[in-house]
Amino acid sequence: MQPRSLSTRLLASVTVLLVVFFGITIIALDLVFRDLSERAVKERLEVQIIALIYASEEDANGGLRPSPQQIGEARFNNPGSGMYGQVQRSDGTSSWRSESLTGTGLNFSYHLKAGERRFGEQRTADGSAVLVLSRGIEWEFKKHRTGTFVFSVAENLEPYYQQLNRFRVQLFGWFGVLMMLLLGSLAVLLRRLLSPLRRVEREIEAVESGDLTELGDGYPRELLGLTTNLNALLRSERERLARYRNTLGNLAHSFKTPLAVMRNLLNSGTARELSVARQLDEQVGRMDDIVKYQLKRAAASGGTGLGTAPVDVRAALEALRGALLKVYMDRNMSCELHVAEGCMFYGDREDLTEIGGNLLDNAFKWAKGKVRLTAERVSSPAARREGLLLVVEDDGPGIPPAERERVLDRGARLDERVSGQGIGLSVVRELAQLNGGSISIGDSPLGGARIEVRLPPV
Amino acid sequence: MRLLIVEDENSLRESLVEQFKAAGFNVDAAADGEEGLYCGREYALDIAVIDLGLPKLPGIEVIKKLRAESKSYPILILTARDRWQDKVEGLQAGADDYVAKPFHFEELLARVQALLRRSGGWAQPVLRCGPVALDPRTQEVSVNDKRVELTSFEYRILEYLIHRAGEVISKAELTERLYAQDFDRDSNTIEVFIGRLRRKLDPEDTLKPIETLRGRGYRFSLQRESAG
Repeated sequence: MQPRSLSTRLLASVTVLLVVFFGITIIALDLVFRDLSERAVKERLEVQIIALIYASEEDANGGLRPSPQQIGEARFNNPGSGMYGQVQRSDGTSSWRSESLTGTGLNFSYHLKAGERRFGEQRTADGSAVLVLSRGIEWEFKKHRTGTFVFSVAENLEPYYQQLNRFRVQLFGWFGVLMMLLLGSLAVLLRRLLSPLRRVEREIEAVESGDLTELGDGYPRELLGLTTNLNALLRSERERLARYRNTLGNLAHSFKTPLAVMRNLLNSGTARELSVARQLDEQVGRMDDIVKYQLKRAAASGGTGLGTAPVDVRAALEALRGALLKVYMDRNMSCELHVAEGCMFYGDREDLTEIGGNLLDNAFKWAKGKVRLTAERVSSPAARREGLLLVVEDDGPGIPPAERERVLDRGARLDERVSGQGIGLSVVRELAQLNGGSISIGDSPLGGARIEVRLPPV
Repeated sequence: MRLLIVEDENSLRESLVEQFKAAGFNVDAAADGEEGLYCGREYALDIAVIDLGLPKLPGIEVIKKLRAESKSYPILILTARDRWQDKVEGLQAGADDYVAKPFHFEELLARVQALLRRSGGWAQPVLRCGPVALDPRTQEVSVNDKRVELTSFEYRILEYLIHRAGEVISKAELTERLYAQDFDRDSNTIEVFIGRLRRKLDPEDTLKPIETLRGRGYRFSLQRESAG
């Protein structure tokens, strides 16, 4: 499963929060508005019913009806106007019905006692909803006669619903826009806030590819711990390697000096005559080989090479070629060098020099007159840093297949062998392996050996 | 031939001085980098053998400075630190060859002689001029394949003259190159040795290998065989 992104998480959480918050707000506002609107409608009905009651007078049948002059509300007179009124006698029969009720199919017949009052909803014949307010009234006629009447007033709810819808559309609209704006600004803000994270990512990539040797300054406090510690780690690795190499160099020097003195003593004057001198000298040779091999192994970085710049392969190999041509000048050797364009080694410079030096020296020793050194880039799709393929060929006698494994093994089997045979190639194998690579020996079209060292991409 | 050895390890240095002397060299020695630089500047050397791990001034710096001051004699590095990085740096600084410690003196001597040969333009180990042949490896001289016995001083003069066959070498230069500082620098001595050399090489006075150029010096005038 892919690791989740901080930005996505943050954005998702905020969106949910916004939706919930705005949702609650919208619902609350909607409820409040509905409540207010409903109250307004009900209040209007109350007012209308009181007006109707005050406008009512006794009619010829002993019922009640509002006098036409006193009805303030003109809508009672228009059919289907949306404002309806009715007066009922206590037996349920209608005493008066407003003109507006015609054609609506509405009938407000409620049984209410005097003083009672209630709201209700009904539908007209064409489906529109109306809100009905009914009140039971005890009317005192002349001559102390009383009667219970139910007054009802109803108003069309359609306008009220339309208003509600308009309100809701506006509400959703505004809040929707607000939410989009908020999310938009948040996304932009997030990008800016998280830019140090992106910067760290970029810089670490640059360190891996060798373009940078350490992370930069100016990071926010939260990342400072990470970046300063990483830089300290890179620096201490570099310093440790340098210190280690220095110590090993001193060790080599201090060990080889008495060896040199011993060999010299065994070589000179009367000592040479003794048969034991030759045997002792052989042991000096073995000790020398052991020191050489083990110290070279120990001094190899074989590390990630992080925090160091990549090595220009052409420059390193040309320096080696120049050095060897100088040393072997008397033999009139020719050494071809082919290095791929832009070939870089993403590892330690000394490791490369050690590998190249031993390979070339071995070739020069055995060649009749021709040596060829090729360096190619090795890339792989998943890898960030390219690998390297070194091929050294000579026109010497070559190495017979039966010998090849032993030649590569010489350094490791120092106790078994006779000193004097070169351990150069076994050192190369050791260094190649420490860098995750391998060495192989074959035959060259030039006539001699062809040695391939592969340092894989990472 | 005048050789400088710069090596801080005392017993090794002293032993090498003896061994090179036995091989027919006029040897100067220094025990640290500063002294080595001084000797390298002041003396008329034919070759220098310098250890890299020196006190006071590192061997590499000595080499760089000598080359910067146009000292062009061959330089051979002795080193215990045989990392390729060091060898390349040494050679790039101006050295011509390196020998890793511990070494057999024979190998060191052979490399020294090879460098001298190269600097003198000789392709073969044996220096031949006409019928005269001189092998620096064995210090043997022969004329028309007949062995000629020489004293060590006579040998040294002949080796130097043949090495630079065709060039005029002044008496002063001969003296400086071939003889230790405390030797009696009476100019007559050279003439005496030249005379003896002529008698031994050319008893019948037919060859005339060594020419005297009045006021200038001596020249070995027989033709070099296939100069390198």
